[in-house]
Amino acid sequence: MANSLEKKRSSQLVRDIRRHKSVYLLLLFPLTYYILFRYVPIFNGQIAFRDFMALDGILGSKWIGLKHFKTFTHSYYFWELLRNTLMYSVGKLLFSLPLAIILAITIYECNKPFLRKIVQTLAYLPHFLSWVIMYGILLALLAPGDGIINDVIKLFGGKPLDFLTNTDAFPWIVILSDAWKEMGWSAIIFIAALMGIDPSLFEAALVEGANSWQRVRYITLPSILPVIVIVVLLRLGTILDAGFNQIFMLYSTPVLSVADIIDTWVYRQGLLEFQFGLATAVGLFKGFIGMFLILGSNRLVRRFGGSSLF
Amino acid sequence: MKKTTGYRRVGNTSVAIKPTKADHSFNFLVDFFLAVLLVIIAVPLWSTITLSFRPNDYIGNNLQGMFLAPWNWSFAAYKALLGNQGFILAFKNSILILIGGVATSLLLTIPLAYVLSITTLPGRKFLNLLIVVPYVFNVGMIPSYLLVTHLGLIDHLAAIFLPGAISTYNCLIMRSFFEGLPNELKESARIDGATEIQVLIRVILPLSKAIIMTIGLFYGVSFWNDFFHAMLYLNDNSLQPLPILLRNILMASGMNEYVEVNAFGDAPIAAIKAASVFMSAIPMVIAYPFIQKYFTKGTLLGSVKG
Repeated sequence: MANSLEKKRSSQLVRDIRRHKSVYLLLLFPLTYYILFRYVPIFNGQIAFRDFMALDGILGSKWIGLKHFKTFTHSYYFWELLRNTLMYSVGKLLFSLPLAIILAITIYECNKPFLRKIVQTLAYLPHFLSWVIMYGILLALLAPGDGIINDVIKLFGGKPLDFLTNTDAFPWIVILSDAWKEMGWSAIIFIAALMGIDPSLFEAALVEGANSWQRVRYITLPSILPVIVIVVLLRLGTILDAGFNQIFMLYSTPVLSVADIIDTWVYRQGLLEFQFGLATAVGLFKGFIGMFLILGSNRLVRRFGGSSLF
Repeated sequence: MKKTTGYRRVGNTSVAIKPTKADHSFNFLVDFFLAVLLVIIAVPLWSTITLSFRPNDYIGNNLQGMFLAPWNWSFAAYKALLGNQGFILAFKNSILILIGGVATSLLLTIPLAYVLSITTLPGRKFLNLLIVVPYVFNVGMIPSYLLVTHLGLIDHLAAIFLPGAISTYNCLIMRSFFEGLPNELKESARIDGATEIQVLIRVILPLSKAIIMTIGLFYGVSFWNDFFHAMLYLNDNSLQPLPILLRNILMASGMNEYVEVNAFGDAPIAAIKAASVFMSAIPMVIAYPFIQKYFTKGTLLGSVKG
């Protein structure tokens, strides 16, 4: 009995597979892509445990175990890199998230269609500009000689400041320029959540005599709180990504101590100093911790009622 | 913004209640915040734009330059850029990367997302796992660099878009869009004897304009803006795309580079820099309003439904 059931099930599977034959054909190129460009790099990741010599190839180089990892965790720059990375990712989260929420609520509450439309359109735009372009825009603003901000400082009798090479100013430039670029884009998801609020709640509140402040405090904010929690959790999952492209474009030797993050360090060690093994080890270290963070945050997101992507 | 979803407007609600003082102060603060934000967003953009139109003989600082009347603007920087062979070549390379990249990415992502959306497919769980594992576990830039080198892609434009041809995130967004399409349509086509490829082309694609435009825009932006991969993989000067040229122009400040920048004619260097910033941004800025309605719709679908 059990045997025939099993047989039935397996023949069902064969039939299912046969029925979907043309589906598997569609997968030919995408799967080739994944194996070649996603799984081969994972395989290449083994050079983190080898004394990689380009001449010997990946498989020909000597195994050295965890030596690269120890070199990294015991080095003086380890804590500095970790501190800078977290400073930027947490700083951006703390700064740009409240801004995005306020922007979403004000756009939603504004009863001047023209103002609303123009802010919305302009606020999304910078998201589509590259960090090279952003660097050009920041130069026009911040350049020590002729930047607009220094023009204003001079206007008030202050001394012009070279923001991008000043260790005190640099972290703020990074965090603020990121907020400027991404604030509008991050607000989209909150605007979507706001649109989903049942309007009868507001009508009821009006009848009860609630004013605008009370409405925002007791209806709007609690309604989008789950979305806020989910966004924070998802951001925590990528907390080790502090924004490579941005830092790479903006940093320079004078600010290295406050600017260097894990990714920029990996780039310099690996591709400028050709320490492939050590750089890969650090990349792997980051990827490994990142994996647990992403899995953990996605699990929490599901618990908070959001559907994670996987 | 859709009005039908109950966009709340206190003045429009049927409940006629006189706004209180608190409401007035609230409305004022909302408008004030948005107005301040508008200035904060607009000033950096405006300063770059006006800088690019700065005449050579302009006396005054950049702050004053922002208020220079448009009839005094000079097109010298743009004339110099458009007359420069290197700039035209870089622009052409960027366009090639953009077209090649978006076409490749969509041709790979759409079938994959569609297949993953077929709930009855045997092995679907395994396929999902297969694409999510490398997304969750990121081994960093060096192993990919070694791969691209081994494949001999150095100094090929494809090196810019092939390694990142499928973004797993984009693929998952597209998958959840396809999952949301009514199943009956697909089933009836299948009963009529259509193969899966025909179902995809005849049934799914015509319904998916919004998501394809959105994901296409995401891919387009990432390829157009990429400078890092171009820096790593393109050594040949005749292959360099716009972001690399822009970076070189922006970084030029000393005497040596002055000569190089001076190849752009007699426009002020600051104006040349600003004009190349503007020219690099222009394709995105032009495409943006056309696609804005799609991406708002598309990302909302993707993010809300997950």
